Amino acid sequence: MIEFSAEAKRRFERILSHYPEKRAALIPVLALAQREFGGWISQEVAEYVGELMGYPPSDVLSVATFYTLLRRRPVGKYHLEICRNVSCWLMGANACMDEAKKLLGVEAEEITSDGKFSWNFTECLASCGTGPAMQVGNRYFEDLTPARMGEIIESLRND
Amino acid sequence: MTKILLANADKPGQNTIAKYRERGGYKALEKALGMEPSAIIDEVKASGLRGRGGAGFPTGMKWSFVPRNTGKPTYLLCNADESEPGTFKDRLLLEREPHLLIEGMAIAAYALGCHLSYIYMRGEFEFLERPIETALEEAYKAGLLGPSVLKRDFSLDIHLHMGAGAYICGEETSLIESLEGYRGYPRIKPPFPATHGFLASPTVVNNVETLAALPWIISNGAQAYAAIGTEKSKGTKLFSVSGHVKKPGVYEVDLGYPLLDFINNEAGGIPNGRKLKAVIPGGSSVPVLRAEECEGVLLDYESLLKAGSMLGSGGMIVLDDSVKMPEVLSVIADFYAHESCGQCTPCREGTGWAGKVLRNLVAGKGTKADVDRLLKIADMMEGKTICPLADADVMPIRSFVTKFRSEFEALCAI
Amino acid sequence: MPKFTLNDQVIEAEDGQTIIQAAQDAGIDIPHYCYHPDLPIDGNCRMCLVEVEKMPKLTPSCTAIATEGMVVRSDSERVKEAVRGVLEFLLINHPVDCPVCDQAGECRLQDYYMVYGLHTSEIPLGMKVRKRKVIDLGPMVVLDQERCVLCSRCIRFFDYVTETGEMQFFGRGDHVAIGTFEDKPLDNPYSGNVVDICPVGALTSRDFRFKCRVWFLHSTDSVCAGCSTGCNVRVDHRDGTVFRLLPRRNTAVNESWLCDEGRLSFHELQTGERVVRPMIKGRDGIHAPVTWKDAVRSIDSRLKEVRDTNGSSSILGFGSPSATNESLFLLKRYLGGQLGASQFEFRADSEDKNVLEEEDQILRHFDKHPNSMGAIKLGLTSAELGGIEGAIKAARAGSIKAGVVIYLDPLVRRPGDDEAEGRILELIDSLEYSVLLAAHKAEWHASASVVLPVAAWLEEDGTYTNFQGRVQLAGKAIEAGGDALPAWEVFAMLLHASGAQSPWMSARDVFATMAESDTVYRGLTIEQTRLPGVVLR
Repeated sequence: MIEFSAEAKRRFERILSHYPEKRAALIPVLALAQREFGGWISQEVAEYVGELMGYPPSDVLSVATFYTLLRRRPVGKYHLEICRNVSCWLMGANACMDEAKKLLGVEAEEITSDGKFSWNFTECLASCGTGPAMQVGNRYFEDLTPARMGEIIESLRND
Repeated sequence: MTKILLANADKPGQNTIAKYRERGGYKALEKALGMEPSAIIDEVKASGLRGRGGAGFPTGMKWSFVPRNTGKPTYLLCNADESEPGTFKDRLLLEREPHLLIEGMAIAAYALGCHLSYIYMRGEFEFLERPIETALEEAYKAGLLGPSVLKRDFSLDIHLHMGAGAYICGEETSLIESLEGYRGYPRIKPPFPATHGFLASPTVVNNVETLAALPWIISNGAQAYAAIGTEKSKGTKLFSVSGHVKKPGVYEVDLGYPLLDFINNEAGGIPNGRKLKAVIPGGSSVPVLRAEECEGVLLDYESLLKAGSMLGSGGMIVLDDSVKMPEVLSVIADFYAHESCGQCTPCREGTGWAGKVLRNLVAGKGTKADVDRLLKIADMMEGKTICPLADADVMPIRSFVTKFRSEFEALCAI
Repeated sequence: MPKFTLNDQVIEAEDGQTIIQAAQDAGIDIPHYCYHPDLPIDGNCRMCLVEVEKMPKLTPSCTAIATEGMVVRSDSERVKEAVRGVLEFLLINHPVDCPVCDQAGECRLQDYYMVYGLHTSEIPLGMKVRKRKVIDLGPMVVLDQERCVLCSRCIRFFDYVTETGEMQFFGRGDHVAIGTFEDKPLDNPYSGNVVDICPVGALTSRDFRFKCRVWFLHSTDSVCAGCSTGCNVRVDHRDGTVFRLLPRRNTAVNESWLCDEGRLSFHELQTGERVVRPMIKGRDGIHAPVTWKDAVRSIDSRLKEVRDTNGSSSILGFGSPSATNESLFLLKRYLGGQLGASQFEFRADSEDKNVLEEEDQILRHFDKHPNSMGAIKLGLTSAELGGIEGAIKAARAGSIKAGVVIYLDPLVRRPGDDEAEGRILELIDSLEYSVLLAAHKAEWHASASVVLPVAAWLEEDGTYTNFQGRVQLAGKAIEAGGDALPAWEVFAMLLHASGAQSPWMSARDVFATMAESDTVYRGLTIEQTRLPGVVLR
């Protein structure tokens, strides 16, 4: 049975303290649980959060499935989310996505066999003036070109 | 041009509280705390400041709808969920001027009688989570937040709340619903957030840029702000410009500045020897303007409305004559289909259907009837939904198809 | 009480009522999916849009409060076009399942399409969003996600009525689907209600699945006989077979809900062999079938013998808390009126205590009989005997020699039913002469001197009095079969055989007599027992 580590429990308490009602903490707690338990919200994680906070697991999962960043399937260690929206598209996002697909050898949302990479399209990242852009965890990579994609993937691979 | 918001935002590393205070930061808050809250609301009204997130609603008037003495707490929520395609101005403020925002929020909170406030920041800005928390910590340490702001009898807590990836959460009732810990479904209005918002209490949701304008307005006075801009569009606005321009980026512009001047001067004009074909002036949710339609149009709320578009978020996307308009519309339509929350029928089904019809058209599998169909779907969605996301899909669909119809029909064999 | 006009008709609304509620009360149906009078308002389907004068956009009539002087139109071209548009949107991703969908014939997509739609589909089948079908959600419910119009009625039911939250939305946009966590079956005593409230075939009844097309069914208004709550039901039947029960809305009793047990209780009715003929035990100890005429004559003369020999106090009338008021009334009139009997009971299992005890916060009571309160109000309790134990004792001691016993099997079973039935047998064994009125056959019937076949629930018209003291009319839907008669008719025949007046031709006539006599029903009319029923003082 999964459980928050001591550090995560501390963060959990801190999150709760920010809100006058417990429910408001649900989404930040889900984000915390996602980070803690392998980068995605499994049924088990939903049950755990439900139990922790006193909500039916169906309710917790229902909330999680609404939001793009709360993942319902596992992702690679580096999940490349490449913007496909207007300005990035105008500047060549499709070519970058094709390059990612080619270099990683997987379709969107699939994980490479070494578990290191996955990729998907995403919507506007507010990098329109510096597009094409992508988000990898808590990092933005901007002014992308197919060549830059290659460099970035390489450097992440060797990380 | 007057620099109200971006006076110090061109260099990185200026965002510490020490640097902020060096250049006069938090003096406006000090002045505000010496004023009556009602006086501050009057000042904001007189300034003519309008919501900078996209709706353009007069800020002072929005604040005045909040009832006092309800026995319930009043909440101020900063809408930092910037997700409108083409828009990246709030990001710049969050990165470069977090204290400008915090000071603006403190002024607003004091005026509204709010003691607990949240910055709802889109989850994708994870790289800004630590920096914003650091800025808040600095503010607390300096006694600018907490039980006794600037040693006065006013307490204020501001917390950062990260979103989890949903464009719809930029709509104020959806933001509130999401903050409460639910799926981000917009709410039926009435009741309005001013009376029944976060936790059924009086709530004001303001955009980052709106709040960031407050310190200058308090320091320099409403008249000074109202002296900038046009009769009904006062002050300055941040425009994020991207697409086919030589100098994409965020620019602060006096409202009323000519659109074509902005594209050719500030944004550097169209690169690669190409010509302007079309402009989406205020984020993908506003109608597109053909190049010819831009003649004489000014960057303010009224002029853009008169030209058949809207100022919106000020997220300007410039398209040159290499662009195939149906393809652009298909990208836009996919966005709305992906981001529709799914709560109400016309948007849920209509955005999805329009997206599919467009993909078919762009792939060469569509018919002329499909082109009419797009307009029909738009008509069916418009004005019948709980929130304006459907309308935000209708604007581009209708404007692209009616203004560039021949391009759509050219894709059809029959 | 604001007055407003809807389509030129003036309607008076209650304070705070929405336009759709006021319209419904006035008999005008504004098309809708997500609105339900017993669930919180959601306003998501956008079907109920109306024109309100001075409002630029169309207004959802389920969220707009009716105000004085409001001018509303639901019949203008603009409204019809909007409704048609919403309908078209709902149909674009809807699977063409009508031929295999149980909802056909009572489906709001079909019904509204015939009025507002009649358009041709503009989406190729391959473009429709596909979702999962035939998901087993337990013994009551089958889920088909594709058919769902996402009205959220089921979600609101589980969130606000049962407060268990099993069903939720998953996903976003046009891929949103309803479901349970991990497809877990619904383990909830009220799960069947979501099938009723689902306006389409997304949630269908597992019990009713593929059994009968709804347009072949006849409907009869009745009252559930599963417990003392007395939920109002509609019985759907065809050619003598009951296919399903649906709730009738009674805001004073069950709102729009039924419990699952009660909903399925008709199966118990249709299970097992029936007593088909009146039977008298011969000198050889074996039951032989006789005609009603012979049976009645034999019973009356035998009971008179017992009375003449041992006194009228030696005769016991043991009613059933599942018998109708009419049957119990004539039981008393015959035994009491004609034979002077004064000992009446009905309690085999503390029914008088259980009748008021709630089994849960929503509908059910512990007493699994529909008419314990009716039996109490008609005086079938004896302080002296205190229930069946006392009667058995008295019978064993010899102070009670003969008894007329009505026993109807409970339709909702509980542990303890067998013991209670065993006590009825004990009573019969202890009596020298026993007349048993029963519906379903049991081996222990062999102990009774006479066994008479009677109608069970749904096989006779009659009234029940629920835990609130509310008298409600239960209609007859099917025939009893064999020679079975309503119990009241048996006593009417006995009264006739004993020389008394016996003018009743129907249960309605008996009720009229009850209403004239010195009973708690004095002054009532049978019409008052129709929805919502009438509460006794």
